[in-house]
Amino acid sequence: MNKDLISGVVLLAVSGTYYAWSSQIADSTLSDEVGATGLPHVLSIILAILGVLLIARAILLRRARTVTAAGTDDDQDAHLPRAIGFLLLGAVYVFVLPFIGYVAGTALLIGAVALYEGAPRNWVVLAAAVGGAVFYWAIFVKLLGVHQPVGSLFQGMF
Amino acid sequence: MTTFWDIIYLLTETPLFFVAIGGLTWGILGGALPGISASITMALVLPFTYTMDPAQAIALLACVYIGAEYGGSIPAILIRTPGTNSSAATVIDGYEMNRQGRAGEALGISLMSGVVGSLFGLAMLILLTEPLSWLALAFTPPSYFGLGILGLSVIASMSGGSLIKGLAAATVGLMIATVGTDPISGVTRFTFDIPDLLGGIEPVLVMVGLFALTELMSQSGSSTVLQLNETIRIKLPSWSMMNKLKRSQTIGCILGLFEGLTPGGGGSIAAFMSYNEAKRWSKTPQLFGKGSEEGVAAPEAANNTVASTALIPLLSFGIPSSNSTAVLLGGLLMHGLIPGPRLFEQSAQVIDSIYVGSFIAIIAQIGVGMIILPACIWLVNRPRAYRAGFIFALILSGIFTLNNSLFDLGIALALGLVGYLMRIAGFPVLPMILGVVLGHMVESSYRRSLVLSGGDHMIFLQDPIAVCLLSIALIFVVFSLSREFRDARKTKIEEAHS
Repeated sequence: MNKDLISGVVLLAVSGTYYAWSSQIADSTLSDEVGATGLPHVLSIILAILGVLLIARAILLRRARTVTAAGTDDDQDAHLPRAIGFLLLGAVYVFVLPFIGYVAGTALLIGAVALYEGAPRNWVVLAAAVGGAVFYWAIFVKLLGVHQPVGSLFQGMF
Repeated sequence: MTTFWDIIYLLTETPLFFVAIGGLTWGILGGALPGISASITMALVLPFTYTMDPAQAIALLACVYIGAEYGGSIPAILIRTPGTNSSAATVIDGYEMNRQGRAGEALGISLMSGVVGSLFGLAMLILLTEPLSWLALAFTPPSYFGLGILGLSVIASMSGGSLIKGLAAATVGLMIATVGTDPISGVTRFTFDIPDLLGGIEPVLVMVGLFALTELMSQSGSSTVLQLNETIRIKLPSWSMMNKLKRSQTIGCILGLFEGLTPGGGGSIAAFMSYNEAKRWSKTPQLFGKGSEEGVAAPEAANNTVASTALIPLLSFGIPSSNSTAVLLGGLLMHGLIPGPRLFEQSAQVIDSIYVGSFIAIIAQIGVGMIILPACIWLVNRPRAYRAGFIFALILSGIFTLNNSLFDLGIALALGLVGYLMRIAGFPVLPMILGVVLGHMVESSYRRSLVLSGGDHMIFLQDPIAVCLLSIALIFVVFSLSREFRDARKTKIEEAHS
């Protein structure tokens, strides 16, 4: 199946889900003629039409030629699992941040990303991770005064 | 009108000077990193501006934009890899000059042509923006609706060859903009009882997710190793050389002005058009592609002009004509600043700061550009694995700064994945960002108009400004559609021939 076909199906699914959710929006006595559901309903219909058009174009192009439709990035496609892995490191960071706090969490993130991206396992990774975390802590917490999470494990220590 | 004393006040009583230099430096460093475009460089710094004074914040973003446009030419000349899209045309003769052992000269020409282009662009920005913005004083809700539709109409020219995909991306952007509290009735939509969603999804999260995180994910696992020669230093052009380059620089400035004003134009198109025209009007066209100084000067003057002139439609009407100006618009909205004449009346200091900050950045570009070159080379030569870790941590730390919310981090990561999948499927991301940024204005002005008219849609045809803006939008769409069909037909014919 080519990517345009899949994209069209995904657009239809998004459109349907969005329409279903928008139907659950509460009514209001302050509402105008269009209402809070007006635009969401129109948008879901437009997206559905675009999805159908994309599917139709994909099928017609498929009939017209046997080669895969141009305009997509096969290289990006091949890297998808790796890219998702990269993103998961960020997700883990978000998950552990409330527990281990900003400095330890950031050090872990920098170190993990560096190793994931192929840095050799040596003291440089550790130094870069700790140095980077302290550097960002100095900028965000000390310089900009942003309250980054201290971490429940270290509560009371700072 | 900005007075001399306003400028003195800004320079002596506010940290504008340091903000401009800081923004310029960050912009050059970011622009010099291949893969980190001007818009990503701006998006990375956007969360930092949240806690800043609005005038300083917007000036900072404008200076980052100026710096990034110059920074992109550094790897373009040194390693044949444009740091930003708009420096792609600089590669042709810039890298050739480097191969001939004239890298310092090429960097100097790029720097000075950038300064010339930026100064011209700034002059146009100051002269044209305020008069244009006064037009917006007569704006009524139908006019604002027309303006929103005009903003969305540029999607047709930003769809990267697939109008259906561009429109679909914009529709999803508009859907994201509906999350939160309804602008008229106040009921909640798509919040799923999550308090963090009551205020909606901030455009900055969408920008950081779609631009910066998607780019990091794309670069993950890349084995490309870049190595710059650390001994290169900038050699500024002599007066006679500047005299020789004035024709190509003028071409760059004029086309940069034109493209900056045109929605969907941008620095890349301006740079390539300038390169072509400079070659056409050159006394030595045979040298183009073989290390011509004019071949470096024209595109660099053009893309640096665009960095200023692209702010004209943005500040006057709130129309972002490129990724970078969309980020700047996000910055304005984040600080509660609405583009248009009221911005000039109520937030004159913001406008003054943009002008003065940009001027400082442009002039300082000469010194900073020379001083920072070794730092740029050092940064580009760092192992990509560490660079990715530091940038990822910077992005996530910056996002947390917005609302001290872990939920925002989750949203940005999810949008990073969406952006990556869109890239795989060939969907452009800018229409989606436009949808998010303009969605609220389009919906609220449409519904307010209908409340005023008692539900009569003729109100949109009775307001002269709305009619004018909607007509321009229609022209844009028809023009883009005809271009798309023409390109498709051309491709078909070429395929048939091959």
